[in-house]
Amino acid sequence: MMADSSGLAGRKRFRDGEDEPAEENSDGTLSLGDSLTFCDTVMALRMMRAQFPKTNKVSVEPFILRSQLYSCIKNRTQVDRDLEALKKEKTLRLFKLNTGQDDHAIMFMDDYNKQIGAAAERLGKKGPDQVQVLEWFKLYVLGTKLDLSIEHNELVSFSLIFQSLSELFDVSYIYNASYVNQCSLLSAGGKVRDEHVSLLVNAGFLTRQLVDPDMYWFSIPNVGSVLKGLSQGRKEVMGMLKRRAHGEMMMGVMEKKRLRFSPLDMRFHLRDLIGSGHLHTAQTPLGLVVRLAKD
Amino acid sequence: MLGDVKGREQGWICPIAFRRRVCRRQIAALDISNQKEIVSAHRGGINSLNVDLTEGRYLLAGASDGSAAVYDIQCSTESEGGGRIGKHKSLFVVDKQHAHGHKFSVSSVSWYPVDTGLFITGSFDHRIKVWDTNAVKAVMDFNMPGKVYRAAMSSVATTHMLIAAGTEDVQVRLCDIASGAFTHTLSGHRDGIMAVEWSSSSDWILMTGGCDGAVRFWDIRRAGCFLVLDQSCSQLGSRPPLSGAPSNERETFPRASDSTDGKINHHLGTKKLPNYQKGRTFKGMGTTQRLHPGLTSSRNKSTAHYGAVTALRATKDGMHLLSTGSDSRLKLWDIESGCNTLVNFEASRLQTSRPLEMAVAEDSSLVFVPCATTVKAFDMWSGTTSRTFRGHLESVNCCFFNAQHQELYSGSNDRQIVVWAPTNRTDSAEDQEAARGLEEHDADQDHWSD
Repeated sequence: MMADSSGLAGRKRFRDGEDEPAEENSDGTLSLGDSLTFCDTVMALRMMRAQFPKTNKVSVEPFILRSQLYSCIKNRTQVDRDLEALKKEKTLRLFKLNTGQDDHAIMFMDDYNKQIGAAAERLGKKGPDQVQVLEWFKLYVLGTKLDLSIEHNELVSFSLIFQSLSELFDVSYIYNASYVNQCSLLSAGGKVRDEHVSLLVNAGFLTRQLVDPDMYWFSIPNVGSVLKGLSQGRKEVMGMLKRRAHGEMMMGVMEKKRLRFSPLDMRFHLRDLIGSGHLHTAQTPLGLVVRLAKD
Repeated sequence: MLGDVKGREQGWICPIAFRRRVCRRQIAALDISNQKEIVSAHRGGINSLNVDLTEGRYLLAGASDGSAAVYDIQCSTESEGGGRIGKHKSLFVVDKQHAHGHKFSVSSVSWYPVDTGLFITGSFDHRIKVWDTNAVKAVMDFNMPGKVYRAAMSSVATTHMLIAAGTEDVQVRLCDIASGAFTHTLSGHRDGIMAVEWSSSSDWILMTGGCDGAVRFWDIRRAGCFLVLDQSCSQLGSRPPLSGAPSNERETFPRASDSTDGKINHHLGTKKLPNYQKGRTFKGMGTTQRLHPGLTSSRNKSTAHYGAVTALRATKDGMHLLSTGSDSRLKLWDIESGCNTLVNFEASRLQTSRPLEMAVAEDSSLVFVPCATTVKAFDMWSGTTSRTFRGHLESVNCCFFNAQHQELYSGSNDRQIVVWAPTNRTDSAEDQEAARGLEEHDADQDHWSD
């Protein structure tokens, strides 16, 4: 089942003639062995996005880990530079995850907006001003701050600019009377902005990491269970290989196994572990074999 | 090789190009030396290596058992195997038994840049000692507030003789050899400092990497640092793009301007807000504290790595800086623009809790990094692993590249210093002949026909 192009049609670099893979498995998906190397970052991203498991247990739009990209494309410097360029074009967004050293998740902007939409629906049930905050966040903060994190002071200054701009241009017809109350609270200072920030943290858009009290990291809402599955799945895959006599297993055999603790599929984990250097692949006369990295 | 010599003789290869070609060929042939062996006088893991700048002849090593030793790496003290393998024993050792020796592990050693008459050792016993090489006595002793991770002197400075010391304490201290006192301290880091490196192009610029993950550039003539490296500020390519100001890649969206009284300014939207400039940071909103202009950089919390910065090394031309961190990443920075060049080095197993020492080849083409039990050579501009030097039995802590002889020295926790030298094929042919010659001399041996 190749890419469902519903979210991808508006892509700037959409290509018409994609090379069709040579072989496919019985269920139509590519085997990992065939799809292990790519020549273009965007193609690799789209391919992996299409292969993201879409089950009910996974409540998150497709995202790709950086280590998965490294496993596909040989030239890592090129990957980093392409990601940087795509980030600036606002095609993708990067997030730093808290599952261990230097884990980054890449999500297409369309998918992230869908995620925001879903979160907005949930918040909308609690009150309209909550949705306002989310709209402000989406429009101003996400639109301009392309980094992975934001400092408390900056976030606060964004909210001020929002308030003052709306004062200037008198767009108060969009907002209801609660806005006026907020303005008067503003002169008292402090309280309103903290509530906004805590709303965003509770909804899952901002998070704190690394014991730094002043820095907020952007994150994907509702991704917690998936991340737990990610770390447990990694441990399970490594455990599977460690139990073997020589720490190796054929790729074909591995792919077909099911993971007990992770909703994400084996292919996802294998790519991630190969890219982060914990596993190596090698060609043997019998096919591709996966080995534990020893050094 | 002969083709190059002929070219040089006939004049169509200039001297510099000839030297570069020979060096590149030598570096590509680096392997465990079968002609030099250093007999280590240490009983603990080697933490630091340094070769003097003037002759490239003496190797100084500091180890975890509190000993520091000097080896002559050009002339061997004795030889083995019929003169083919030279053993280099230490010329002298200063250890715990010495009257002025350090009491705990020596973490950093360095020769005095001008000549080999002095050397400096920094240790976990909170002291930095300056030693006279000929008399083997400590002539100066500086007391630090914490464990010394690194003590460095500038190799290009002609106007000062300062030792920059990075310790567990958050301040960088500058010690003056001429007067024997501390000149000043540089504050700005928020945690201990593991890496200290002087600039290779300027007398006055110092770069430090802290356990908080920040790399700061200091001009020691001024207060405060003038640049903090930020890993999110990046440029595509090893030099900044020519078109336009660096502000293309930086945030130009309005930020809290440094209002003079630090209070909340309601009319922020109407003022023309400044572009982000190098070194300038925003003052905290809602605070009424005024900061000395030199200390505004202490508010800048940008980090170069997600963990501690464990090693720094500048290239010889002074244009690029390499840094390793405890997030197992090696990053290449452009010093001029302060941006991350996004070169991805495949370093996955770097030591995370101790300071390391890296080495850069003289023509900036390769960088040697100790990774677990091996030393890996990465191509500087593309990030690919070009060589892996396996030979040590335990994790490698430091390495040093001797540009005069194109040799690499590495010291590790297995108490050995290994020499990696260019090996030639002609050497092995001579070895075989000499071996056969030796066998004939042994009268007790049977003469079997082969």
